[in-house]
Amino acid sequence: MNNPLVYTPEQAADLLQLSKSTVYSLINQGEIVAKKIGKVYRIPASSLSFVFTGLDYDLYQAEKKDFKQIEKIQKEIAKARRSL
Amino acid sequence: MKKSDKIFVDSDVIVSSLISQQGAAHLLINKSNLNLYISNFSYKELKIVCRRLKLNGYHLERLIKNNFIFIKLKQTIKKIKSKYGKYTTDKNDSHIVAGAVKAKARFIISYNIKHFKTNLIKKDFNIILLTPGHFLQYLRSQ
Repeated sequence: MNNPLVYTPEQAADLLQLSKSTVYSLINQGEIVAKKIGKVYRIPASSLSFVFTGLDYDLYQAEKKDFKQIEKIQKEIAKARRSL
Repeated sequence: MKKSDKIFVDSDVIVSSLISQQGAAHLLINKSNLNLYISNFSYKELKIVCRRLKLNGYHLERLIKNNFIFIKLKQTIKKIKSKYGKYTTDKNDSHIVAGAVKAKARFIISYNIKHFKTNLIKKDFNIILLTPGHFLQYLRSQ
């Protein structure tokens, strides 16, 4: 994921193509994790992971864990498939 | 997604689930209420790969026994390649498509999507190819 590390609710609304009020409502419901700093909210990029990766943050991280080994695995599978 | 929907799982996903318990493959395979399928050819190659990667064969057997429905492809690998080779960029992957068709699967889950001709597979068999993470994301949207 690229910078910035945090977004305003307005920026998040633009990215998600939602209204600002929907974003605030999603923050209140806990669907978008945000931090209230004084009177304003800031949303970490990880809460908007879906926009950047097509996956929720936890699923993105889970796939990344698999990707660490996948090249080695696929190489062995390709070898085994040639011998079937 | 209907409860009866069948999911054919490629071997790279199964091996990944054996290696990392925090990965998306492990999350998917250990999710209850999914109808996961593999074929006899997948099982044969899985045993070879597990041996080469020094993975515990018992864990593989237990995983297959507890989490998968096993289907037997009766055709020879040569016939499978001839019939289903056009659905892959590498004919050696043909048995995955053959297994999914035999299982009447709605999804193939693989980390090797680029080796499959996804549009043709969707058009001819109405089977969708997804990675484990994208399939789990799809389940969340249901």
